[in-house]
Amino acid sequence: MREWSGFSFIVTNLARFVRPNEITFSGVNSALPMLACLLAKRAYDFDFTYINVAGGVDPRPSKVPISSSDPVLAEGSRSIFSNEDFYDLCTRGQMDLCFLGAAQVDGLGRTNVSVIGDWHAPKVRLPGGGGGAVMLPTARRAVTWRTEHSKRTLVETLDFVTASGGMHGVVTPIAVFTKRDGRLVLSSWHPQASLDEVRARTGFSFEADGAEPSAWPSEAEASGLSAIDADGSFERDAAIKLR
Amino acid sequence: MSSGTSKIVPLADLAARITDGSSMALGGSFLHRGPFALVRELIRQGRKELEVIKQSPGYDIDILCRAGALARARAGIVAMEGNFGLAPWYRKTVEKGEIRLEEHACATLTAGLRASAFGVPFMPCGGIHGSDLPALNGWRQIEDPYGTGESVYAIPKITPDFAVILANEVSEEGDVRVYGTSHWDRIMSRSAKRVLIVAEKIAPSASFRDQPELTLVPHFLVEAISVVENAGWPGSCWPHYEVDYPAVEAYMNEAESVLKAHLDAAPEAREAAHA
Repeated sequence: MREWSGFSFIVTNLARFVRPNEITFSGVNSALPMLACLLAKRAYDFDFTYINVAGGVDPRPSKVPISSSDPVLAEGSRSIFSNEDFYDLCTRGQMDLCFLGAAQVDGLGRTNVSVIGDWHAPKVRLPGGGGGAVMLPTARRAVTWRTEHSKRTLVETLDFVTASGGMHGVVTPIAVFTKRDGRLVLSSWHPQASLDEVRARTGFSFEADGAEPSAWPSEAEASGLSAIDADGSFERDAAIKLR
Repeated sequence: MSSGTSKIVPLADLAARITDGSSMALGGSFLHRGPFALVRELIRQGRKELEVIKQSPGYDIDILCRAGALARARAGIVAMEGNFGLAPWYRKTVEKGEIRLEEHACATLTAGLRASAFGVPFMPCGGIHGSDLPALNGWRQIEDPYGTGESVYAIPKITPDFAVILANEVSEEGDVRVYGTSHWDRIMSRSAKRVLIVAEKIAPSASFRDQPELTLVPHFLVEAISVVENAGWPGSCWPHYEVDYPAVEAYMNEAESVLKAHLDAAPEAREAAHA
């Protein structure tokens, strides 16, 4: 049977949210979206503007850095579009797509990146939302990813609402959700998983009409990702399991 | 301040200006172009009760927590990044209640700094609606006084005692040049009461006159500078050097002896040992 790694599933499906002639942003702590943006540039036969937290605007990095905020991501850039610039772009409504991190996601696509447990007596203090609280409600579309698909990451009730406004898309190793009428609905599942498995491992309830197995990577997507992660180190470091 | 006077001082003197209890906006982001040599020098001098104000701190806030030098933090996202994940010492001190965190979104922290830079008591900030952060921090929502019906959150002014920035190049008089993204360094330099600079190199004053558009901070805003090569270690300072990942990995070791060994291995400590 054909295999599709969780790593490739996430990066490929994140890249599929990129649309022609739009402005797409990837930020700090976001290696998988960084790879997705670089993949979209290689695999898709359309123009879009890729901006990133290193200030890069359609950069031509000489290598793919481990850190998604590495200054290498501004190499060959046409401009330095720095932090204040891309936040302001977003709040004034001109950011088409941004990738934002999350620890927990609920059925409305809201996120918790702050804390597990009570904010004032945390069981686990998480990094914090960075751009989330401001970008999620103001970007035209925001998409997040989780490397673990489980009831503790995809939850009915968030421990804390770091960012509201609702994700347009959520990608896990076995599923792709998109927003419909203000709620996340299942859009597709990993061809080596099933609808039942997605339901069993998801903490929030969701509709799945119209959902089907995700399309296998195209030749351009597969070869693009191989070129970006030539020695497989990103896939190894990400250590993503389907189950 | 005359533009002809040198502002260059030894690193120990620069650190001595930041007294116990001071708040500091630290330049850079995560492992990139942070004034880390100054942060380490504060630890060597035994500073206590400091506050970090930074949208995306990581190594800097973590090592201050590890050394017991921090009391408060205002931050948007805190992590070591790369493959290192959460900042472990920061995480532990917050979980134990040993430091007081004011959790921001990066842009709300910027809004507070902008209020200070613009000389006004608060600054409206887009977004935030539906987040639990306003209730947590007591941020007020205000309606557009011009009647559009739109409402925005008003973020109170944030005025750091110090902004500390790692520059690529400075003039002796204190003009500051940064290559690549300036992160939030510009707004930090305009919002803080005092601006201190750690610089990789001195460049000729005439070169600043040749290309003034490369100057991020003009000399009259700057109080003092230390010139320390590799001051951003173990992080990067584009285009001079990249992240020293083995050094970060060595730092992540939890053994008690690691902090001192790390401080002793830092470029500014080795330099001092040779001097």
